[in-house]
Amino acid sequence: MGFEIDRRPLWLLLIIRGLRPLFFVGIAVVFWYILTMPLPEGLSEEGRSAIAIFAVCLILWVSNAIPLAITSLFAIVLVPLLGVISRDETYGLFGNEAVFFILGAFILAGAVMHSGLSSRIALAMMDRFGASPKRLILSIFLLSAMLSCFMSEHAVAAMLFPIVLDIAKSLKLSPGRSGYGKLLFLSLAWGCVIGGIATFLGGARVPLAVGILQETTGKTIGFFSYSLAVFPMVVIMLFVGYVVLTRSFKIDVDSVEEAHSVFRGRIHAMGKLVYKEYAVGVVLLLTVIAWATLGGRFGLASIAFTSVVVLFVLRLVRWKDIEEYVNWGIILLYGGAIILGTALEQSGAALWMAEMTIANWASSPWTVIALFAFFTMLFTEGISNAAVIAILLPVGIGLAGRFDIDPVIITYAIAVPAGLAFLLPLSTPANAIAISSNYLTVKDMVKVGIIMSTTGYIVFNLVARFYWPLIGMGY
Amino acid sequence: MAKTLLVLSTSRTSEKAVDFAVCRAKEKGEPIVALYIIEEKLTDEVFNRFTDIGFIGDKPSSELVESIMKEYRQRGYEEVGKVQVKAMEAGVSFDAVTVEGDFTEEALKAIDDHDASMVVVVKKKKSIFMKYFSRSFADEISERASVEVKVFED
Repeated sequence: MGFEIDRRPLWLLLIIRGLRPLFFVGIAVVFWYILTMPLPEGLSEEGRSAIAIFAVCLILWVSNAIPLAITSLFAIVLVPLLGVISRDETYGLFGNEAVFFILGAFILAGAVMHSGLSSRIALAMMDRFGASPKRLILSIFLLSAMLSCFMSEHAVAAMLFPIVLDIAKSLKLSPGRSGYGKLLFLSLAWGCVIGGIATFLGGARVPLAVGILQETTGKTIGFFSYSLAVFPMVVIMLFVGYVVLTRSFKIDVDSVEEAHSVFRGRIHAMGKLVYKEYAVGVVLLLTVIAWATLGGRFGLASIAFTSVVVLFVLRLVRWKDIEEYVNWGIILLYGGAIILGTALEQSGAALWMAEMTIANWASSPWTVIALFAFFTMLFTEGISNAAVIAILLPVGIGLAGRFDIDPVIITYAIAVPAGLAFLLPLSTPANAIAISSNYLTVKDMVKVGIIMSTTGYIVFNLVARFYWPLIGMGY
Repeated sequence: MAKTLLVLSTSRTSEKAVDFAVCRAKEKGEPIVALYIIEEKLTDEVFNRFTDIGFIGDKPSSELVESIMKEYRQRGYEEVGKVQVKAMEAGVSFDAVTVEGDFTEEALKAIDDHDASMVVVVKKKKSIFMKYFSRSFADEISERASVEVKVFED
């Protein structure tokens, strides 16, 4: 008989079995310990309570023991309960423009996906430009990046994945073995990641960061200003990404003609371009132009919701469609993150934590920026990028005054690197989906991801050091 | 009639295991049953990642998972097809079953359902550190199965 006796120590087995309850008991102990510890010098009672809540959220966000949005509920409940901020103010923070902008942007992206316009553009571009194996990789890479400038990078990855999978199958690539198979899925994931940092729309992390900045300092970042600041970085990363992609794995196909049958078949199945697709495309385009030109005057959220209303007035979408494409948990996560950030800032806890940590290691504004970018990139590989922002940004803003850095710069130093997750499948859904194809292994991803992460960090610091002062963002 | 049960899955396949199972079935004069398990846990993880972290809605997440499942099913047919070819070449009677679910539970259920005399399973290679802290599904099957279990590494 093939019995294999579990010879691990009993204490270890008991720990493994009882890990989850023990974990939550541990969190409760940590929370209680911080809450009842003697007040350190320079920290108020409210600040101590805010740090206790912060610790609970940090552990839960890092461990992913419960959904991210539910972790935010802890902040929403505990902040007024422990008297860090009043109840009215806490719930008032839900009305932050950033939360509504994110919601509006997700509804617009849902409408674009529902209309089929994004898939049509993707297929047409791949068919038009993907004539050779290298050009097809470039098409997928640039297309993912381009679409991620207008809608959530996660939605783009989900939308393009079945098409890329069909390409791999049509080319009869062997999962896990074919170099070209690996390249196809890496180009999808990296395109989404790099494109996702280009605008406010690539992920909700930038609007969240701007929301926290606004609540804590009253300052803000415009839609156009943000894209202008990150533009060189996006261009350089796209170039480096393509070079790394095409040199990392062997292109083991001679022709991609079969893939074009897939594109044509899918385009044929979609039929002719219809009014709905045209109209949704025009609404999206006008919205982006309005965000870039009128965002400061009318507010990003107002513009987003005006477009949403237009979509419904023109009967381009139904409420049912939107419900299927938007995950409402996002309101809880982002609302909770803004509440936690504000609580840390207002109670002085953010400044105290900054003084205890990064302030001791940094000697100049430049090192502060470099350190925050480093920790952000490190954390974002293991935690949701929104959680990274909720954890680091209040601390960064708290520290900005001491080094005479504009909090806006600190916001960039955390919001931009938070999107640069190349290493692991748990870093971002785009990476997870690439791995789920089985064409790519975690080892492959880490091997080339480390080059991209290192390059991303260097490029970010160079752009921050030499380009930002040219556009009036000196520090 | 007793059968040799070969258990493969989305993330666990091994040519050595297939060859062993076919040879063993031929030696014992038994039919071979190839069980291919599409692990729902993998797709659940992708779904959760997209809904919990990516915050995309149910529809795109479900469509995504469906396309992954479709691909896994297709690969299952291909893997099972390879076993069938080897069984035919060896003159061994062959049957195939594809199921979706938990690897351990489905494998244990199949042992009873098919009156298996031996189970051939594949486990992923793990580092010594990981082996210490997490047991493989194949080891769990070895422990709980009422018949002999032969384990191969992926």
